[in-house]
Amino acid sequence: MKNYILSRIIKSIIALFVVLSIVIVMLFTLIPRVNIFKNDTSIQRMKGDEKTSYMYNKWDELGYLDFITFNEMCYASSDDVKACVSGDTKEAADILQEYENNGYIIEQFSDGSYYGYYEYNPLEILGNFYSHFIQIDHPNKIEDPDNPDLERKYYIGSDQNGVPAVMCSGCEYKYQIYFDGSFPFIHQNIISLDFGTSYPTKLGIDTMNVIADGQGNAKMEEQTFPTGSTQNSPLLQHSCRYKPTSTLDRMDTTKFTDNYANCDTQYDSPSMISTSLTFGLISLFIAYLIAIPAGIYMARKKGKLADKIGIVYINFLSAVPSLAFIFFVKQIGQGFGLPDKFPHYGFGDIRSYILPIIILALLSTSSLMMWTRRYMIDQSNSDYVKFARAKGLSEGEIFNRHILKNAIIPIVNQIPVSIVMTISGSVITETVFAIPGMGKMLPDSINMLNNNMVITLTFIFTGLSVFAVLVGDLLMTVIDPRIKLTEKGE
Amino acid sequence: MSENNIILSVKDLEVKFKVRDRVLTAIRNISLDFEQGKTVAIVGESGSGKSVFTKTFTGMLDINGEVTNGSIMFEGQDLAKIKKDKEWEKIRGAKIATVFQDPMTSLNPVRTIGYQISEVIIKHQKKSKSEAKKLAIELMEKVGIHDAANRYDEYPFQYSGGMRQRIVIAIALACHPKILICDEPTTALDVTIQAQIINLIKDLSKEYGFTTIYITHDLGVVANVADMVAVMYAGQIIEYGTVEEVFYDPRHPYTWGLLASLPQLGVKGSELYSIHGTPPSLFEKINGDAFALRSEYAMQIDFEEEPPLFYVTDTHFAKTWLLDERAPKVEPPKIIQNLHERLLATTDKGGRYHG
Amino acid sequence: MTTSDNKFTFVKLDDKASEHIAAPKYSYWNSVFKKFFSSKVAIFLLIVLAAMVAMSLIHPFISGYSPLDAPNINNPSTWYNPPSAQLWFGTDNVGNSLFDAIWVGTRNSLLIALTATAISTVIGVIVGMFWGYSKRMDAIMLNVYNVVANIPYLLLVIVLMYVLGRGIWQMIFSLSCTSWLSTAYFIRVQVMIIRDREYNLASECLGTPRTKVIFHNIFPYLISVIMTSLARDIPSFISYEVFLTYVGNGLSEKDASLGRMIQKYSAYMTSSPYLFWIPVAFSAIISVSIYVVGQTLADASDPRTHMV
Repeated sequence: MKNYILSRIIKSIIALFVVLSIVIVMLFTLIPRVNIFKNDTSIQRMKGDEKTSYMYNKWDELGYLDFITFNEMCYASSDDVKACVSGDTKEAADILQEYENNGYIIEQFSDGSYYGYYEYNPLEILGNFYSHFIQIDHPNKIEDPDNPDLERKYYIGSDQNGVPAVMCSGCEYKYQIYFDGSFPFIHQNIISLDFGTSYPTKLGIDTMNVIADGQGNAKMEEQTFPTGSTQNSPLLQHSCRYKPTSTLDRMDTTKFTDNYANCDTQYDSPSMISTSLTFGLISLFIAYLIAIPAGIYMARKKGKLADKIGIVYINFLSAVPSLAFIFFVKQIGQGFGLPDKFPHYGFGDIRSYILPIIILALLSTSSLMMWTRRYMIDQSNSDYVKFARAKGLSEGEIFNRHILKNAIIPIVNQIPVSIVMTISGSVITETVFAIPGMGKMLPDSINMLNNNMVITLTFIFTGLSVFAVLVGDLLMTVIDPRIKLTEKGE
Repeated sequence: MSENNIILSVKDLEVKFKVRDRVLTAIRNISLDFEQGKTVAIVGESGSGKSVFTKTFTGMLDINGEVTNGSIMFEGQDLAKIKKDKEWEKIRGAKIATVFQDPMTSLNPVRTIGYQISEVIIKHQKKSKSEAKKLAIELMEKVGIHDAANRYDEYPFQYSGGMRQRIVIAIALACHPKILICDEPTTALDVTIQAQIINLIKDLSKEYGFTTIYITHDLGVVANVADMVAVMYAGQIIEYGTVEEVFYDPRHPYTWGLLASLPQLGVKGSELYSIHGTPPSLFEKINGDAFALRSEYAMQIDFEEEPPLFYVTDTHFAKTWLLDERAPKVEPPKIIQNLHERLLATTDKGGRYHG
Repeated sequence: MTTSDNKFTFVKLDDKASEHIAAPKYSYWNSVFKKFFSSKVAIFLLIVLAAMVAMSLIHPFISGYSPLDAPNINNPSTWYNPPSAQLWFGTDNVGNSLFDAIWVGTRNSLLIALTATAISTVIGVIVGMFWGYSKRMDAIMLNVYNVVANIPYLLLVIVLMYVLGRGIWQMIFSLSCTSWLSTAYFIRVQVMIIRDREYNLASECLGTPRTKVIFHNIFPYLISVIMTSLARDIPSFISYEVFLTYVGNGLSEKDASLGRMIQKYSAYMTSSPYLFWIPVAFSAIISVSIYVVGQTLADASDPRTHMV
């Protein structure tokens, strides 16, 4: 059993990284790298060398290539920097030659100065990506020449509310492990995943933060800072990172006693991920609430009118393009005065949620109903049902005690997958209703050619899906006695 | 046959099925009385209507089938008239229990053995959960499950095939039914296990005094356990008698053929006897004797008129014109003479085959 | 008894007489057609479907419509004409007839859906049959399947479309790139069920080559299974095309398609609703027709339904 779980987990992780790697390589090699500037507004004002250097710096930053100016070459590789930098010397020519031999392509700016770039091959791209993929925070992480006396240690302290937390000095994050009132209540800043920054939209923000941080306007909250001053501030103290001494300002020192003053802002609207999750979970709950009893009822009334109506409904939903269905329901909903776009009333208004949730729920009912009905009917044709009938049990007893327990096993197995499917499957609904969730993010970031964002979303969607299948299978080993008991011995 | 001893009385039973817009008559006018405490074996080839016949006793015909004529009297009630499942629930399991062919699939795989036994006790005997558990464990011991208390909470997949069939029998007997229908109870089991199960049913029937109806095409089993034998062909009972009468003194040519084709009687090196041809289509109206086309002893009249059930002895009847006084005298084939001794000799007391 | 005694004489038997098959006459294809044509809804939708396919094949040649042409762009009186007796479906924002446009769109949408289905079915069925039949291949393919099945399909299609660029053939490739795997898996399970049936074991014992067993014994059994998967795949590919193009990850301006039209005309949903709803209705009618006709055919081709 243990071996089975372990090998399942390892296989899932491998699957996830195989997919991620393929997507990364495809994005970096198949899309011409000049395309990424299509939606960059700042580049449109640039000309000549400025533009060239901006582009190469961007490509370097995004991991396409290694860009190096002539001066940088000299400082990095030459023994005689002075001779090198002055140009037109043998030293300079040697350095250029050396870089060229190493696979760099040497070109000239219009003022005649040299620059070079080295295009990574797919393996190097992956290598670079994964080398900084997992970031582990540690007390020696911060290097600040202006603050040589920075202590390097972990300690138990308490946050602004007096709740104990594992804290660190010398790490990037002040709070390493902390508790608060939001799910899952215990949080950590020790390990983080680095997917690079978002470009060209949400410029410079880590893609993970784009998805996980709140949206909307800054949310002010009365809070006490380490200096003892109480202020109305949107800062999230749990997220504070080290700020180099040189950049500390007065504002920071009124609040903080140390260098950990670079804090995230709190927003009044939920993050993309939690928006999608809210819609997904509520609609899925409704879908199960409708579909399971409906499927069971259809199976019990097989061939009768109720079953036939149900089959028409299932067929209708599976055949009609979901987009057509969404517009159709939306049109009806508008007749009841419901908004056609989420931002119309926004997060605070229940009317914003009704239509998307109804649509998401209805969209997932059809296959749920179909499978429930199918499993129930398959089971009701089995011999043990015949025998149960011969025992004198009523049809109701047979259904509830015998068929249901068998039919529910594959349904339970599917629950985690359906949760994930509503998150990623809500791409359509979120786009139509302009809901600021993860689903809408994918087409948006593709239209904006935001590659890092696409990679991040691929990782999250695939990761969730891999995880869901895993949880579903593990759930099976718990609820199905045949698996539970036979696997235990191993 | 004394009238007061009769537990189940079938009169003029007719069962029809709808198949692809056509009507199939599966049971054609069967009348048969079952005596209390006796073991009756119903034999015949596949499709002769054995299973359909007994399914009418518990109202378990397939959805496209129905009783179109006749009566099934049981404890003063006509079972053929029952339409509602509610009424059948009082009969099934409680009064007439059934054991099916395949023990591997007869039990619910995700419910414990204990649950499946005590469920029926709670339902029919209105016992509490703990009482039912006690009774169930007793029953499990009775059908030969060792360490029953510990195995109560196990699942079917943890039991072997033979043990599962014991459990199925325990469930069937949980409410002391008056009649136990065994629909080929051993076909799916190993030969060695078969004998154990057959003996178990035999012993239990003596102890509880229930009537056993065996559906089988295994004549070796019949010879061992049955008191009475009914031979079915094309939806009719064509010969009925005590096991001795049918085996010693069979009268119907189909019974001859059936007995002659027993593998146990085969002589090494010679071809095994078989009845040629196939049974008649039950979709069509059958004129005369249904077996006539396959019979070596067919007479002109067999194609024209259906034979009545001729009287042989008080307990022995056969449905063939050969018993008419005008018919020529014929001897049964040599191969089946002295059959009963030979058959008993090839199977020992436990019903284990040597041949 | 009135029967005369001479009836009690033995008669010679015709051996053949007792050998005739008892059950009602049965022919597979007759039963398939009978079963299929017993469904009035299916016949109706089949006619609708045939008419739409024929129109989408013929009409574009008559109209010569191209999504990039706009001959009436300078003639505002031809813009936004609602449906009328002359212009059945009205005109759009540049004066093009929607009736002309929609058949080109339908043709392209059908082309995408049918080609993608054909590719994924052919590859899926062939791979699936060998996959289900060979235990060695099963071990390898299962691992491949587990990796691919873990990726949300829509994500994969979107990313592929993004990487390959927009176009009809890119879309067909993206749609069928991994979908054949689920068809293959579906077939694998069915093949595994039949593989170990006695008649196939017997066939193998008699030395029949594996490919022959697969194509002669197993393939015919799969007809209804394949039908079911066709009935599901074609509408879902139509749906994917519509959706992908609508969110801007699908076809580009130069290709007309139902999704393209829905996307283009969604701006006029309130001002000229017919522009938007007619393509939506078309996509729904085509999908439902194919689905119902396919399912009915799948039911009809399953020998088990011929019993009752």
